[in-house]
Amino acid sequence: MDHRPQHWGRPRDDVYGAYDASYMRPNGPTTHTQSPVVTGTSVVALKFKDGVVIAADNLASYGSLARFPDVKRLRTFAGTSVVGFGGDVSDMQYLDRHLQELAIDENYTSEKGHTLNARNLHKYLANLLYHRRSKFDPLWNHLLVAGLDEDDKPFLAAADLLGTTFTSPSLATGYGEMLAQPIMRRYAKDEEAAAQLTRDQAVDIVKECMKVLFYRDARSLDTYSIAVVTKQGIDLKEDVKLENQSWAFADRIKGYGTQTV
Amino acid sequence: MAMFSQNPVLNGPNYSFADVPVQDHVDGFREHRFNPYTDNGGSTLAIAGKDFAIMAGDTRLTAGYSINTRFSPKVFKIGGSTSTQDDANILLSVVGFAADGEALKERLDSICKMYRYRHNKPMSVSACAKRLSTIMYQRRFFPYYVYAILGGLDEDGAGAVYSYDPVGSYEREQCRAGGAAASLIMPFLDNQVNFKNQYIPGSGVGHALQERERQPLPRDEVEVLVKDAFDSAVERHIEVGDGLQMMIITQNGIEEKILPLKKD
Amino acid sequence: MDTLVARYSRPAAQRETFADDQHDDLHDDTTNSMSLKFAIPPIAQPSAWLRAATDDRANPQCPIKIAHGTTTLAFRFQGGIIVATDSRATAGNWIASQTVKKVIEINNCLLGTMAGGAADCQYWLAWLGMQCRLHELRHKRRISVAAASKILANLVYQYKGMGLSMGTMCAGVTKEEGPALYYIDSDGTRLAGNLFCVGSGQTFAYGVLDAEYRYDLSEEEALALGSRSILAATHRDAYSGGFINLYHVKEDGWVKHGFSDTNPIFWKTKLESGEFTNVTSDFVGERV
Repeated sequence: MDHRPQHWGRPRDDVYGAYDASYMRPNGPTTHTQSPVVTGTSVVALKFKDGVVIAADNLASYGSLARFPDVKRLRTFAGTSVVGFGGDVSDMQYLDRHLQELAIDENYTSEKGHTLNARNLHKYLANLLYHRRSKFDPLWNHLLVAGLDEDDKPFLAAADLLGTTFTSPSLATGYGEMLAQPIMRRYAKDEEAAAQLTRDQAVDIVKECMKVLFYRDARSLDTYSIAVVTKQGIDLKEDVKLENQSWAFADRIKGYGTQTV
Repeated sequence: MAMFSQNPVLNGPNYSFADVPVQDHVDGFREHRFNPYTDNGGSTLAIAGKDFAIMAGDTRLTAGYSINTRFSPKVFKIGGSTSTQDDANILLSVVGFAADGEALKERLDSICKMYRYRHNKPMSVSACAKRLSTIMYQRRFFPYYVYAILGGLDEDGAGAVYSYDPVGSYEREQCRAGGAAASLIMPFLDNQVNFKNQYIPGSGVGHALQERERQPLPRDEVEVLVKDAFDSAVERHIEVGDGLQMMIITQNGIEEKILPLKKD
Repeated sequence: MDTLVARYSRPAAQRETFADDQHDDLHDDTTNSMSLKFAIPPIAQPSAWLRAATDDRANPQCPIKIAHGTTTLAFRFQGGIIVATDSRATAGNWIASQTVKKVIEINNCLLGTMAGGAADCQYWLAWLGMQCRLHELRHKRRISVAAASKILANLVYQYKGMGLSMGTMCAGVTKEEGPALYYIDSDGTRLAGNLFCVGSGQTFAYGVLDAEYRYDLSEEEALALGSRSILAATHRDAYSGGFINLYHVKEDGWVKHGFSDTNPIFWKTKLESGEFTNVTSDFVGERV
């Protein structure tokens, strides 16, 4: 027994070998640990009066290579919810297969069609991700679930590879958290403000976010998917081009690349 | 102390510095470089009164320097007979790693619900406190990264607050702050709730001064105290802010209040 | 229909399961909350990983800081056993609590003390209490202190190398043994003895205790000695402090002799008995 309290509960070097700090490195989807290989960047989503708008570009990157410019990262579930995936693409496809199967099972087993609303789906995915992280075998995704809850109110929530969940009137993953979230928060700083937004306003805001992301996120693309979920169903467009780009601001940027002045 | 350490790197006196050079990897190989934990910030606070207990937490959820959401409650009702928790008799607050907190809450809640179902009565706070301790200790070797506080009314109707470390050691207390701003709030509570270092003026000279006698605070005063504690913490800690969620448990049930905090 | 579907559908994805423990809580009636089923991280070196996550000495930035306890003592004398502890718990340099109950009441005639990881001591001594009760039910008589301490020592030995940390003393009085005192720690050591001090303040406590200790102390003297030894430790050891928790174990059970704040006791000891002359009694110290 080691009687010095600052040593207590802490394994001894003579028994365990020296402390190995590499276990405790900070992580995030960019860390090359069990390395995500082909990755998707941001997903952005915003609630409005009677639904949710969600968008993600169509690029799957291989490191800094824009490898697959036609990968759809918004997946629908049961015609009532949309899941937007950021992070590893293979894990996304795995989850998508899994969700397809879940949807089919649900359809067979429940009497009156689908019983899983967006809230249920989000809870399910969060539990799945949390369980995988507890097995030290994470699914390297940060995902947003958009849809309607049991009262047909707009529902939007996120879950990440650790199983952390949160909800907010506007959400974004990856670079979107830094670039798009401030823009969306300007229009929807709380639930009340989001409930005032019309569908067209919300779509415009999200499109604006996609544009800003394309300006600054080097792993993004100008072709994207955008979905609007309302009580009427999902309106998913998968090959939307960014409009009205203006690169005038680029002129004023100094200090990078080969520029000499 | 470290002068006598068995560790050769540690020889020589040292105080609050890291005493082992933090080195990566030592020998052999390791296949896993995944860190299953993160810190989602935030702070919680609980105070027990004569016939009530207040549990509070801020509603900010952070990841590093970015704010994930401004409204993610940290205080939960536990052990009601339905998912709406209308007849819950216990409160749990969790702070640290949010996903672990959620898992722990779900687990305790389902256990309390099963207890209610089997015994046809709600679990007592003291029993629930012990059960929570064993749940957390089951993960002794893979801990829940959570600082939990449990609150409710004891068998005599008095406010009860139980605080936990991440592996389940627990203690009943009058008040406790947990999470990111615990070190900012706890000294304030020591002084204002337990009257630490408060003496009766003119009762003596030097150490003959008499301590101010402890007495349970009334509810309205405690509510103000909680708000003040959080306002001060928000002022000095980046991971605390946005909203204050307060749950007050009395004989008549649980009341919830949401108050604004600074959002910067 | 369902079976037909099951036959022709192939899992597109591996079977996703959720934590087993959750199912146990709901479905298994016999689930014992104190079972020895612990979750272990599914990796090659769980203990190295646990260390990386919780060792706040080697890495002050480590995420999980576990609370630790400090000075404890127990000694045998003609009237039974005195058990005394301080009440401070620290997590790094942070004083996590000043009111920890470091004497754990295993049952009405057995006491355990807590030094090391607070959760380890609390959990395993509670578990020991359960084993002692089971022994009573099976054998229709109280368990001996020797047997109880051995159950604990064997248990912690099984977990050796996993990162448990406890330095505990089991004190009890039985007809067969008289006052019996055992020291058990997380390495698996188990020692019988007359007098033990455990924790960072142990040296200071030993200093006072050894100087004044006799087996034929009166009950009053013994209690005073226990309290005075802890006071000395709280004075000189930064990791000890708070309150003095004092117990007396007799054959028909233990008696609690207070949970008293050290500060007034310190000043009383200094001013009335003329001890601690290293400290000035004026608040304004002399300046050089």
